[in-house]
Amino acid sequence: MAMEIQRQDSGVWDDSEDNGSPGDRQSLRLRRVSSQVTQKNYPQFSWSVTPTETDREGPRGSQRDIRTLPMPMALKRAVRQVQQMQVPVVSRMDSWKRKKTKVLLKLKDDAMEILSFFTLWNKSLQMIGGNFGGGVQSYFLFLRFLVILNFISFLLIAGFVLIPSIVFSSVGTSFLVLNSTGLENCTKYDPNPQGLVAFYKYLLDVVSGTGFMEYSYLFYGYYNNTVVEDSDFSYNIPLAYVFTAVFYFAFCLICIIARMGTAARVAVATGGSTVSNYSITVFTAWNYGCLGDTATTLQQKNLHYQLQVDLEEERIKKQAAALTSKEKVVLYSVRVLMGFLALGLIIAAFYCIFLATNFSQQKSGTSGIQGLIWDYLPSIVITAANFMVPLLCDQIAVIERYAPSTTVIVALLRAVFLRLVSLGVLLFTLWSQITCDGDTNTGDCKLCQYNHNLYPCWETRIGQEMYKLTLFDLLTNIAVLLLVEFPRRIVVDHWSSKLARWVGRQEFEVPLNVLGLVYGQTVVWTGALFCPLLPAINTIKFIILFYCKKATLFHNCRPAQKTFRSTTSSFFFLMVLLFGWSLATLVLIYSLSEIQPSLGCGPFSFFPSMWSVVANTFYKLPTVTREFLFFIGSQAFSIPLFVLSCVVMCYFAALFSVHGKNVALLRAQLKLEGRDKQFLVKQIVELSRRLQTLHHSAGEEESI
Amino acid sequence: MGNKQTTFTEEQLEAYQDCTYFTRKEILRLHSRYRELAPHLVPLDYTNSPDIRVPLTLIVTMPELKENPFRDRIVETFSEDGLGNLSFNDFVDMFSALCETSPRELKTIYAFKIYDFNRDNFICKEDLKKTLNKLTKGDLTSEEVALVCDKAIEEADLDGDSKLSFADFENMISKAPDFLSNFHIRI
Repeated sequence: MAMEIQRQDSGVWDDSEDNGSPGDRQSLRLRRVSSQVTQKNYPQFSWSVTPTETDREGPRGSQRDIRTLPMPMALKRAVRQVQQMQVPVVSRMDSWKRKKTKVLLKLKDDAMEILSFFTLWNKSLQMIGGNFGGGVQSYFLFLRFLVILNFISFLLIAGFVLIPSIVFSSVGTSFLVLNSTGLENCTKYDPNPQGLVAFYKYLLDVVSGTGFMEYSYLFYGYYNNTVVEDSDFSYNIPLAYVFTAVFYFAFCLICIIARMGTAARVAVATGGSTVSNYSITVFTAWNYGCLGDTATTLQQKNLHYQLQVDLEEERIKKQAAALTSKEKVVLYSVRVLMGFLALGLIIAAFYCIFLATNFSQQKSGTSGIQGLIWDYLPSIVITAANFMVPLLCDQIAVIERYAPSTTVIVALLRAVFLRLVSLGVLLFTLWSQITCDGDTNTGDCKLCQYNHNLYPCWETRIGQEMYKLTLFDLLTNIAVLLLVEFPRRIVVDHWSSKLARWVGRQEFEVPLNVLGLVYGQTVVWTGALFCPLLPAINTIKFIILFYCKKATLFHNCRPAQKTFRSTTSSFFFLMVLLFGWSLATLVLIYSLSEIQPSLGCGPFSFFPSMWSVVANTFYKLPTVTREFLFFIGSQAFSIPLFVLSCVVMCYFAALFSVHGKNVALLRAQLKLEGRDKQFLVKQIVELSRRLQTLHHSAGEEESI
Repeated sequence: MGNKQTTFTEEQLEAYQDCTYFTRKEILRLHSRYRELAPHLVPLDYTNSPDIRVPLTLIVTMPELKENPFRDRIVETFSEDGLGNLSFNDFVDMFSALCETSPRELKTIYAFKIYDFNRDNFICKEDLKKTLNKLTKGDLTSEEVALVCDKAIEEADLDGDSKLSFADFENMISKAPDFLSNFHIRI
């Protein structure tokens, strides 16, 4: 796009520079003066644009060129006129093509405008970003992404599993084949409540997923292995169930990776350093779109704090570098010790959760409020652990004395580890009870390959656990809001004492809130196979959470003193989400392939495993398809594919390193050119001085 | 629909659409915003392109610019006379360069012009000091200001003349992830 100018004689410009009369009506000339476009720095415009160039870029292309020119409006319009005059004579076909492209582009612009009108919560997010900064806004953007993901998943599940189940429950045939006798005990499953049920029991049932809620479309146990086979239409519900679950996971993975891609591209292009960078802070940290008096003052305070923190980190680094070796040894050993202490705390928390889950299973079946408490005991212990352990780890971090940015990352990693693996401990406990510690030929598990006494329908039980975790998470969030944050604000605002001022208003902690979201989403993924309506419940839960968090943000919180970098942080959130997803995938794979499905309920009774439905259907496929699928799975195909993908990856890695070297070379070249320029300028000054002295001496000689 | 409007001729609107990142509707809206700054000065009918300039003191009362510490410099950069009096062309130019769809290169050029207080096409230490003071409203001590300025120049200066040319500035901005989203005024 850079085009060379034929420089007008600069004598004309110099004259007007000397006069510098701003009120002059000869605007063109004055514009040259006042905007001081340095001829060496900006792309210049050539008045002799060749027709082929405009042809290649198309009608809109050349016009986009005008918009990107850093010139005042009148100059741009002059350029545009010249370009329009130079439109070459083209055939009717070409001009029709151009008109079509123009119309299409305009349509696209209009469509984008309409779409942005429909985007969820756009205005709220803008307000949040303007008032509280990019870090808090990234949390709410992440929440919106999860809401949309859950909603689309619900549509998927409803379309392929729920609605066909409802429609075909009266039409299709479900087979109840008993392969061998002696398994009648296994098929006993009666979740419907007997006799009169007290009213409060209904409430308890809603909250814990038992009773009338258990035998409903909410849980796995209600679905049948209905198979509809008409002359031209067939639908296999078990097969649909398995495939929908697998596709749901694949779909979520694709969405997350697509979103990570955009974030990663920005991070890689800009070097992605979290190290303090003064020049960038000074020139790019101010948000020009920030409106309002309070928001501006807050931004200034933020920036001031950020600069101070950066200077402080610099000082600490200098201090750390100046430590003697003896002090270094002491510091590192303290850090290792504290690391072990933190790990010990986390393991203690895991053990408590394990004990609580076992106790809860033993006491399950107790009725009334006490029964409810025993039911919810694992969730209570998990929430308490997730609350206490990070607090203690914060105190540990004070002793460890890492740099401030490292402290944040270490605290986050510990919290992530704690949250997700505590869920894993709960699942492990359940598994050991369902499969009698993995040995399905002992004790209670011998008859049906799973513990049918404790769990006549074990899938529904797991679904219930996940349902309870989700609900309890929402209730905890709302309770903390109502009982901690609002009162804190009221106390701080109306009671002016030193204590109140020291406690201060709430700050919106972005990392911990994001971890809460990731935890909730992982629970939903784990439970989706056993509780198909869980994504729908999660959508509603996240929508309620959005409004609650927004309310608490605007009423109770003051803006964070420490800014949280928004671009690298969205990448980090998605990484953690991916980690949760892989945990849920492990559970999915294990449940699909290893454990015997319940014989008394669900669409997979009398199959040895859930995946065997797919295997059975596979053998019913026509020969050609079967051969093709066999071939894809065989070694003859997969090994060459693997080799090919390795080659492609090597190519891209080589390209990447070459580009990196190019960038370094060009940067060095920039430096050299700058020095050349300086050298030449010095030469010119030197020469002109010499010329002046020569003239002087010549003049003196003449006068003499 | 906008077909009934008499503010601009079709030709003028086409030209504005091609030269800026705004649509027809937005240009008309911009004109009404421009007019409400000085209703007695700005005519409703712009078909014969009158040469009217709204002074700096009125422009910086706009809510989008009122709280910006660089409002004076922004308006001065886009004005023809360099003193901050904007004609409608300059007004549209300003918001087009700062809008969401404006490309990075264009924004970098104008950012450089804005931060170059003494207009010598270099951002020297004095310019940096003024920028920093406007940013933090004098909250930092003078030693801290000097330290930050030194470090900033040290990081960004490639050709070693202890001031930032446009090439240095552009190189530094290309590494800033938040530049595009921050250097953006929504109107």
